[in-house]
Amino acid sequence: MAKELPGYGTIDVPKDRVVPFGAVTPAPVCQQDLFQTSNWRIVRPVKDDEKCTRCLICYLSCPDACWVYKEEEDVMEWVNNFCKGCQICIQECPSGALTAAPELDFPDGVVRLDKPF
Amino acid sequence: MAKAKMLTGCRAAAEGAKAAEVEVICSFPIRPYTAIMMELAKMVANGELNAEFIHGEGEHAQLSVVLGACAAGARAYTGSSGVGVTYAMEIYSPMAGGRYPAQMAIADRTLDPPGDFGSEHTDAMCTRDNGWLLGWACSPQEVYDNTLISYRVGEDHRVMLPQMVCQDGYFISHIPDTVTLGEQSQVKEFLPPYRPISPLSLTHPVSHGPQIRPDQGAPMDAMRAEVFLTVPKVIEEATADFNRIFGRNYDPFVEQYKLADAEIAFFIQGAHANTARAAVDRLRKQGVKAGMARLRWVRPWPTHQLAAALGHVKAIGVVETSTSYGGAMRGGNLIHELRASLYDLDERPLVTSFMGGLGGETIWPADFDHMAKVLTQAVKEKKVRNYVQWLGM
Amino acid sequence: MQAFDYKYQQLEPVKSFKRVPGPEQYVPGHRTCAGCGPALNYRLVAKAAGKDTIFIGPTGCMYVANASYLCTPYAVSWIHAQITNGGAVASGIEAAFKIAMRKGRHAGPFPNIIVMAGDGGTVDIGLQAMSAMMYRNHKVLFICYDNESYANTGIQTSPMTPYGANTTFTPPGKEIPEGKTLFPKNAPQLVIGGHPAVKYVATTTIAHPLDLMNKVRKALSQPGPTFLHMLAPCPKGWKFDEKLTREMARLAVETGMWSMYEWENGVYKYTNVPKKYKPVGEYMKHQGRFAHLKPEHIAKMQAFVDEKIKAVSQPIPVAAPVPGKQ
Repeated sequence: MAKELPGYGTIDVPKDRVVPFGAVTPAPVCQQDLFQTSNWRIVRPVKDDEKCTRCLICYLSCPDACWVYKEEEDVMEWVNNFCKGCQICIQECPSGALTAAPELDFPDGVVRLDKPF
Repeated sequence: MAKAKMLTGCRAAAEGAKAAEVEVICSFPIRPYTAIMMELAKMVANGELNAEFIHGEGEHAQLSVVLGACAAGARAYTGSSGVGVTYAMEIYSPMAGGRYPAQMAIADRTLDPPGDFGSEHTDAMCTRDNGWLLGWACSPQEVYDNTLISYRVGEDHRVMLPQMVCQDGYFISHIPDTVTLGEQSQVKEFLPPYRPISPLSLTHPVSHGPQIRPDQGAPMDAMRAEVFLTVPKVIEEATADFNRIFGRNYDPFVEQYKLADAEIAFFIQGAHANTARAAVDRLRKQGVKAGMARLRWVRPWPTHQLAAALGHVKAIGVVETSTSYGGAMRGGNLIHELRASLYDLDERPLVTSFMGGLGGETIWPADFDHMAKVLTQAVKEKKVRNYVQWLGM
Repeated sequence: MQAFDYKYQQLEPVKSFKRVPGPEQYVPGHRTCAGCGPALNYRLVAKAAGKDTIFIGPTGCMYVANASYLCTPYAVSWIHAQITNGGAVASGIEAAFKIAMRKGRHAGPFPNIIVMAGDGGTVDIGLQAMSAMMYRNHKVLFICYDNESYANTGIQTSPMTPYGANTTFTPPGKEIPEGKTLFPKNAPQLVIGGHPAVKYVATTTIAHPLDLMNKVRKALSQPGPTFLHMLAPCPKGWKFDEKLTREMARLAVETGMWSMYEWENGVYKYTNVPKKYKPVGEYMKHQGRFAHLKPEHIAKMQAFVDEKIKAVSQPIPVAAPVPGKQ
């Protein structure tokens, strides 16, 4: 007759390695903070507000949505946390309001994140 | 009480899907399962079944369509045979890992080369490592019953896995037998509606399937394996409920026919079990203590249940209706996992296998007599001469 | 079957830059290359489609680069599909919503269901599923973001890679000086040519954001399958400075390498037709993937483009210069 047969054991996944059910994650709202890409850039765009005509081309040219039009203040605002420094906006600005400045020139330059993501 | 009808396995599968009120069906023709889809097409066209009937462009597409439908919250149904089953291979793991509990009806067919319409279990057996629930019926009645039981188990929130409900091509799919269909009230009591977890929604947006981190690969696998620790309990509960509501008598995992005091036994799944039962009866009349264990679930494999059911038997003949070329026993698929199930017993039964019913051939009563002779001889010699014998060759 | 009101969305055209819808449905925080054309593409498409949208993402840059790791930039529901089956998964989702509405489980509106497939996932490995979806009259918008290669796996040739391009599967060498010897498939023509149920097909680029968004909205307002082919330049694959991503798309139109048109009810409508086409060399000289080409190869490309733009009936006046010598 059968002696006690082996079992299937237990599985204990460390909490920080768990995958959500079915690999389904909630959608982000407004931005995906788990993936800040600011430390990719070596230059950042600098805006001369007097030259800016609020044409919104920078807003529509950025793959990372880093230019936002503030309607009440009527000004273009740059988003620090996600700009990769690709310079498309600088290239595309029709009034020459944007120039590239080295990231290291800025006190908050090249944000070094503890973890890349 | 419902009346009994004469239905083929294909027709029974369609009736099961209709009873389950499947909502998205994806078809593609391949012998011998095509009749399942033809029946469902008629039901949808007549308004008997309110479902979307999508003409898939191939089996890979069929599985892809049901994956999408399931992710969006619909009870989805599809099916195939033979090389169609293997053509869809890419999608099986995403469906199981993504926890999309759709159902696939398989009427087995030998894999190419070349075209052979006869039944062989290799088509579905090849997919067994991907994480689906998988099991074989041995009659049109059981096809209908398994359709409902599999949805109930698969959609249980402790499980949430896709299911393959298999039947032998031709022997079950095309030969009519008595089937008692469930009443609407019985089906409603047994099978609740599908409640998806985090479906694709406009009000609660979710992302299905982003890349996982490199250190999450193993945990993803482990979590998929972990589900199978719970599945057997859910199968037991569902089968007990089914038996109670519909008046059947299924053992959840292994049909045990005259097994309790058997000295030799046939281990088998699918259609040829019907011949095996008759053979057992005949052998018993001749004074041979024969029995049969019919496997109902390949995944999850009922390791302990098989050890308990077969541990006392002196010699077991595995009837193999699938192939595993180059495998450890140079024969079929069932013997490997059966031997593994029995390995830790104090006294291990002798186990050998018989390749039969391949290419859709009949396994004759005389074949079972021959198998019984081999098994009896093995008991006498206290050893198995060969891992595998090819019936008739 | 009786007609059922599935409450398909009707989206108004965007009249000006200032009227572009504010909310981002493709939010910042993704691992795409700096200056990624397809990422800008996705952002504009998602903006135009709005919040009642479900995206299907076949494997490619817009899956792997966006969805690493365990987070995505999609503020609307999104599902990963295999590179083989974008059209099929979308078909299943569409069917599920149709039955859900008929059974009263979903009140509406009917979601915008959009497949965002790369060129490989549209005309190569994904061709079968795309075509079948077009044939079956599903209410799905299939968008091909065309970066002219299998980019995510390290830039290999696809059927949309231009003649003469240097990719890792078409490297130039002694035996094969031009690198890629084959001319590309024409994706919109594949769709227009043989699918009776298709309602609307159009081409656009990321350098024409209002045009792109309005074509998305027009497609989404059709009651059946639609197809958009979008040029999304890839700085890494095409080997140009990433700040020139939009410039490359503009030059593609100005040289005739890319034509902007709509097809609806059998009628073609061309837009952004240059009064005088620039020679293809103007476009190719910026891109390292063409740097190995000789004058005879450029001429072959020019001849190909000349044939293509005959449909728009505008001849090109000057011979193509050699790239890199400007």
